[in-house]
Amino acid sequence: MQQSRLFSLSCVLALSLTLSGMLAGCGSGSGGSGSGSGSTLPSVTVSGSNQVRLGSTVTFTATAVNLSNPSVTWQVNGVAGGNSTVGTINSSGVYTPPAAIPTNNNVTVTAVSQASPSISGSATLSILNPVPAITAAAASPVSGATYALEVDGSSFVSGAQIQAGGAYLTTTFVASNELQALVTIPAGATTLSVTVTNPSPGGTGSNPMSATVYVASVATAGRLLDQATFGPTLATIQQVQTIGADAWITQQFNTADTPLANIPSPLPALCLSANTPTNCEESEWWQTVLTGPDQLRQRVAFALSEIFVISSDTDNATTITYYHNTLAQDAFTNFYTIMHDVSVSPGMGAYLNMLNSAKAPAGQIANENYARELMQLFTIGLNELNADGSLQLDGSGNPIPTYTQAQVQAFATAYTGWTYATASGGVPTKFPNGTANYLAPMVAVESEHDTTAKTLLNGTVLPAGQTAEQDLTGALTNIFNHPNVGPFVCKQLIQHLVTSTPSPAYVARISAVFANNGNGVRGDMQAVIRAILEDAEARAGDTNPNYDGGHLREPMLWMTEFLRAVGFTNTDANGSYFSLSNYSNNLSERPYRSGSVFNFFPPSYVIPQSTLNAPEFDLENSANAILRLSLADSLVNNKITSFTIDLSATSQLGQIAAVSPGEMVDTLGKIFMHGQMPSDMRNEIMGAISGLGTAQQVRVATFLVITSSQYKVMH
Amino acid sequence: MRQTRRSFISCASLAAAGNLLGLRPFGALNALAQTSSNYKALVCVFLFGGNDANNTLIPFDTTGYGQYNSIRGDLALAQNTLLPLTPAPNFALNPNLPDIQALFNSKNAAFVANVGTLVQPLTRAQYQAGQTAPVNLFSHPDQQLEWQNAAQSAATPTGWAGRMADVLGASFNQGASIPMITSVAGDTLFCNGNTTTPVSVSPGNVGGANCSEGSECSARQLTAQALLTLDTGISLVQADDGITSNAYAYAKTLSDAVQSITPLQTVFPANNGLASQLKQIAQIIQVRAALGVQRQIFFAGIGNFDTHADQLTLQNALLAQISPALAAFYNATVELNVASEVTTFTMSDFSRTFQPNSNNGSDHAWGAHHIVLGGAVNGGQVYGTYPTLVLNGPDDSDSNGRWVPTTASSQYAATLAQWFGVSAANLPTVLPSIGNFATNNLGFV
Repeated sequence: MQQSRLFSLSCVLALSLTLSGMLAGCGSGSGGSGSGSGSTLPSVTVSGSNQVRLGSTVTFTATAVNLSNPSVTWQVNGVAGGNSTVGTINSSGVYTPPAAIPTNNNVTVTAVSQASPSISGSATLSILNPVPAITAAAASPVSGATYALEVDGSSFVSGAQIQAGGAYLTTTFVASNELQALVTIPAGATTLSVTVTNPSPGGTGSNPMSATVYVASVATAGRLLDQATFGPTLATIQQVQTIGADAWITQQFNTADTPLANIPSPLPALCLSANTPTNCEESEWWQTVLTGPDQLRQRVAFALSEIFVISSDTDNATTITYYHNTLAQDAFTNFYTIMHDVSVSPGMGAYLNMLNSAKAPAGQIANENYARELMQLFTIGLNELNADGSLQLDGSGNPIPTYTQAQVQAFATAYTGWTYATASGGVPTKFPNGTANYLAPMVAVESEHDTTAKTLLNGTVLPAGQTAEQDLTGALTNIFNHPNVGPFVCKQLIQHLVTSTPSPAYVARISAVFANNGNGVRGDMQAVIRAILEDAEARAGDTNPNYDGGHLREPMLWMTEFLRAVGFTNTDANGSYFSLSNYSNNLSERPYRSGSVFNFFPPSYVIPQSTLNAPEFDLENSANAILRLSLADSLVNNKITSFTIDLSATSQLGQIAAVSPGEMVDTLGKIFMHGQMPSDMRNEIMGAISGLGTAQQVRVATFLVITSSQYKVMH
Repeated sequence: MRQTRRSFISCASLAAAGNLLGLRPFGALNALAQTSSNYKALVCVFLFGGNDANNTLIPFDTTGYGQYNSIRGDLALAQNTLLPLTPAPNFALNPNLPDIQALFNSKNAAFVANVGTLVQPLTRAQYQAGQTAPVNLFSHPDQQLEWQNAAQSAATPTGWAGRMADVLGASFNQGASIPMITSVAGDTLFCNGNTTTPVSVSPGNVGGANCSEGSECSARQLTAQALLTLDTGISLVQADDGITSNAYAYAKTLSDAVQSITPLQTVFPANNGLASQLKQIAQIIQVRAALGVQRQIFFAGIGNFDTHADQLTLQNALLAQISPALAAFYNATVELNVASEVTTFTMSDFSRTFQPNSNNGSDHAWGAHHIVLGGAVNGGQVYGTYPTLVLNGPDDSDSNGRWVPTTASSQYAATLAQWFGVSAANLPTVLPSIGNFATNNLGFV
């Protein structure tokens, strides 16, 4: 007897070591030993952990005793292999919980003997919520002391709660990696400690995280960047949120100019095949506005270039890079400086014929072109204005002209005698100087300057006998001091940066800053720019998504905004950005290539059959609307020559979409629409992308956003 | 030549016969359009910047050329280079307009001399005494708009073409699937009416938008169009919704219409912006039956005429582009059997100072000479009154040769409008100041 017990024990040990159990001795012995004693009944015992969290697995083992075959079939809640509701278990006993906790979070794991199916063993398993983890948290101002808190991480489940400053917050579950809540933050607090707790069963808390307390909301940051750069990015939105609008503007004022490179001769590889410096000049422009850190400076220079227009359709492009640098470098100085530097620039000189305009001999008149357009388009306009931009009217209710034809001719004679500088920047002996110097201010040859007296505006007389520079300075000062300059120029700057239809009060406020920056200085560009961007009317849309203003994104800006928002790589062998001009040209815009001195669209344009003054709409018609749709298709489908634009499943947007398409659409809403995408628009887009593959979801959603009127009108 | 009622009826019966032969109604409409032809089109070619008319149409008689040559100085064109106009031997053309010369000599083109913006007739003395004249006479944008709106100032927000479309649409284009007015040169005041708006076409691009999403394309477009219907309450967004909605509709109409046509055989000059525009216009005229239009107005335009400097080089190059472009367009209308149904005319901001400036150029002036061409034009004549080419002379508004117009742009427009079908009763609606002038029909078409 003793012997047989030992014998059986050794069989049990052997079998428990290997399920395949090939022990010859035991086999023959078991039948015999089973008789006549209190022998072990066949059984299967299941062992393993009794709880598992979503997202993890647990391995069960089945121990078969006294069975010819140790193999088992695993079940969960009686279902072989389990299912998607209660969790699955494979043939190795590895249990995987379902995606969500079932109604009864306790499941039974059973191992059924294959040799004797009536023999089985079970264990109970509790499925618990996972342990949440926080990777980032930030709070953005909403109003007053209320902030919108966003917590990013992993393993959040619906019902999770954010705890901040000791209190549980009403929490919105966005996705397993994002939660949102509103929180009150006392004034002066710069950080906020947050944790996340998942609900029962197994509710447990996350690591603590110190949330960044932003100074500015997404809406403020996004809108400011829309107004003051060539397009917001997630990084620049965060930057403005962190330091606030005012500090960002200051930082931008202190950011040096990114100059466009001079185009050498002979032409470099980049424009050699086209054999024109224009391709180089435009490439430089695109590259600078897309990548330069001095975004505000470049955006203001762009606005100035749409007022002080010159164009490569008549100018040599070599002088245009120099001209652009002049505008960019002067953008944060004084408006008088801009007037002067533009007037003596060879680019403007060639474009409006001040270059080589000589005092007129008998039988000729002095060239009137620059004299007229400097006043009509660049400084004071045709009619006397009030400070709020409205027209002054005479006793009969008619506008009052600012200048007469005689005054135009007087200015024309004042501007005579200027030509290209010599190669060293000096005064040539011959007039005109037949050798162009595109990279230095024009110089005056006094013998060609008309030295008669000139009667200018407001009775000012330039006395006879002055030099060309004295007459130029006198003329520009005369114009600069005209009260029209503030409203005329500032309203256009507002239209280019903020809104097509500023209220008269807004214009008046900025005109006042132009007239006097607070320290007795007239024409202070920094003061004017800051006042424009920080004005309550510019910032109204930050907290009011229904703000009825803004302006249509002109084609070049619409393109740069898209490229900056989603990112791009230049793939041209010579690093050329010029291909972008071919696309923008289809939409009737090309850098420094306006068809006339009136820019691509005039400031006075009114949408037909309305009273809406909306300059950019001059380019918005049935033809261009379709062309913009076609370009959008090319942009999102990576069909832009010389560039790679990645909206694939592995792109940043693609990776977000793979976790949550809704989060991807919200990310588009954040970058493109400063977090203010209307919910009906969001619903339409979500409906359109449901069921599509990840990459196509990103492309279609992005297409729908950038072609929507809600986006095209920056507001 | 006008269609008589009898020939119209016979055309209708031809259409009925077409039906019996199994032609679809669409095909019958085509036959109707081609034979009964109550179709007319006006084509405006705008020369932006102010074309120097003094070097376009030049006196060829001894006295006239002498006056021209003595004052124009460096801008004068040598007489032996000018192109003589045989039916009008006292005039000749700039050497770069040989096609216009040919059309003029074959009586399919005419000139209207010294036409400009006016609210009322003005003599030099009256102008200098300050009597009512158009506003901002020497400002580009104002004069461009005043030629287009035939009003005293740029503030009038409708163009005379738009106003024609307002009054004629119901009579002639019932059931048209496209507006009466098509611009191939962007948005212009000329094309805007009180109740009608134009369609804009980019030359060579009459299709709808491209889509790379394969089977997802129609769903994407439907969603994009659905977004246009959401009410945002934001004025500019709503405005853009309207423009974009129309864009989808017009693109579909046009691309369907041109889908299976035989391309025209007429060759248009290459590398010629105006030619591309006129070629596009010709294509749209070709499919007028499918568009359901009996009246069409087209707007084309090119720029760079503001020759303050280096005028001879610049203007000659521009005229060298216009001449073959207009000729090709005329030939296309011949090919389409609509040569007498299409009248083309030029407009421009203003002419330029007869006295040159110190940069071999000229500055902003006023009265100009314009071209009208087409089979219906009573060609081979110079209409209006050519100015006396004397500085400070009877036609000079000042002392630099800025001619006071002796024909108003409204009269020019009224002549075209009446040919086009505007009744005498409706003329003041289209051209509000026409009543101030002695005649509303100059007789050139």
